[in-house]
Amino acid sequence: MRRVSRMKKFQFLLLDAGPIIKLFELNKWDAFIKKCDVTIASTVAEQEVVFATKEDGKDYIDLLHYEKQNLIKVIDVDASVVKDFYDKTSLTGKYDIHEGEEETLAFLCSSSQSWRVCSADHVVFRVLGKLSRSDQAISLEELLESVGLGPPPAWKNLNPTDRDWKYTKGFRKRWTQKGREDFIQDQPLV
Amino acid sequence: MDIGRRLKNARDAIGYTLEKAEKESGIGASSLSEFENGKREPKFSQISRLAEVYKRSIDFFLTDKLPAEPVMLWRDGPGSQEEKKETEAEFRRLCQQYHKLEVLMGEVKRPRFHEPDISKAEEFSFQRAASFAGELRNQLCLGDIPSMSLRQVLEERFYVKIFHFGFSGSAISTVSEEFGLAVLLNKSSKLWRRNYDLGHELFHLLTWHIFRKVSSGKAEPTELEEKLANAFASRLLLPADSVRERVDTAMGAKGKISFEQIDEIAREFGVSLDALLWRMVYIYNMPAEEIQRYIERAKSVEVLRRPARRSDIPDDLPERYCSLAIRALREGKLSLMQFAKYTGISYKNAQEYLTDEEGFTDEEISISIA
Repeated sequence: MRRVSRMKKFQFLLLDAGPIIKLFELNKWDAFIKKCDVTIASTVAEQEVVFATKEDGKDYIDLLHYEKQNLIKVIDVDASVVKDFYDKTSLTGKYDIHEGEEETLAFLCSSSQSWRVCSADHVVFRVLGKLSRSDQAISLEELLESVGLGPPPAWKNLNPTDRDWKYTKGFRKRWTQKGREDFIQDQPLV
Repeated sequence: MDIGRRLKNARDAIGYTLEKAEKESGIGASSLSEFENGKREPKFSQISRLAEVYKRSIDFFLTDKLPAEPVMLWRDGPGSQEEKKETEAEFRRLCQQYHKLEVLMGEVKRPRFHEPDISKAEEFSFQRAASFAGELRNQLCLGDIPSMSLRQVLEERFYVKIFHFGFSGSAISTVSEEFGLAVLLNKSSKLWRRNYDLGHELFHLLTWHIFRKVSSGKAEPTELEEKLANAFASRLLLPADSVRERVDTAMGAKGKISFEQIDEIAREFGVSLDALLWRMVYIYNMPAEEIQRYIERAKSVEVLRRPARRSDIPDDLPERYCSLAIRALREGKLSLMQFAKYTGISYKNAQEYLTDEEGFTDEEISISIA
């Protein structure tokens, strides 16, 4: 009998620390990486996720364990790629993002592939809007919906003051829009 | 400057050997050497790890233009150069983070202090230091008990960056072309000691251009400069009229005052018993030898020892720094992970500060003042 390998839904998907941690919290991580080709920046995998989950005396999320089993891909970007990103985008002094987010965005901007970035950070979405890359931003809610893993029902009625609001489409739209406004405002007057 | 040169500079500045850097970062000494010599390009994740170890922001390695390294002036520093450099590196990192927050929020402000009308160090006399303290106390509106408001006024009205953490030494001050005026105080010092250190360091900050030219990079203060700074601090924190009024009231008609009463007045003014006694030398024109004898006797009086109070322990980070960080987070300029790093809290706790309520900063809920 011939086995047909099923194409995964997202082939060029970068995950930031926030959605990774949430997927583990929701117990959807294992199911999720079966459905998507997940790529994570090294600084996110080895530093940010560890920092964010090492507290409370609990076991931290060890993404390298998944990488060793070829279940996810961890990319280690050359320093010069991030330097180029710095030089070309001139974001310094306007936004301050963490190294993992910088590595993710620098990789995205240096690649010829059409990557999508799933984040739960407003500044990441804002920077994508500013760089006219809003279409490459995706929320965890949209991602779970599109791969058939269903976001938690409670997310349907979230308000901007709710803690999980940052995983929603509404949050992603609001902050990429804000980034687009920044882009327009920064245009020189003709 | 290339990344390799920056890596070497950062390692030298914190005083680490290649072996020590290897131990701290987990990156092999031979790789580190190759990075520094430009023989191999580091990965960004390695730069990120080294930035943490060398206590630098990632910008230090990636941006083209760098401001000059600030000169750090120590008060009672440790003998170990390594310890000194590590403390300086941590202090510099905090100051740079503070400055980045100011830039993000468009609140880079440079204070305008009253300046002594003196241009040469050798012209500075004790009399001038004393009158300068009085002029400044008036400018800062410090009132009868200056120690109560000095730190807050310097932080909030004059944008001096004042941090606290435990280290071997009393205080460090610096004037940087990048981040302005900053002071580090030892969190473990007693309150009266920190008050006095702040007054002392303030003198250095305001006379920086007189006692050390930026280009010289000389950090060691002369003995005279230290004595002037002490005289300044004494007069700043202990206004003659206020001290005289309290001491005279305590003495009453007896014309005598007990150690316990003097100690109580010192507590009110937020200074040590010694500092108050020395101030009385000038206010009451007392012989210095007599005061020296009192100080020796006071050391043996058990009743003068006071237990520390919880309110005496300062926060590590200035309130304005935290406020800038929270506002930068809420306005979508500072990422959540970076906020956690800057404020030294966990990622989980950092999320509590992120409200995304539209209209929070809009005119709809602003207060109209006709």
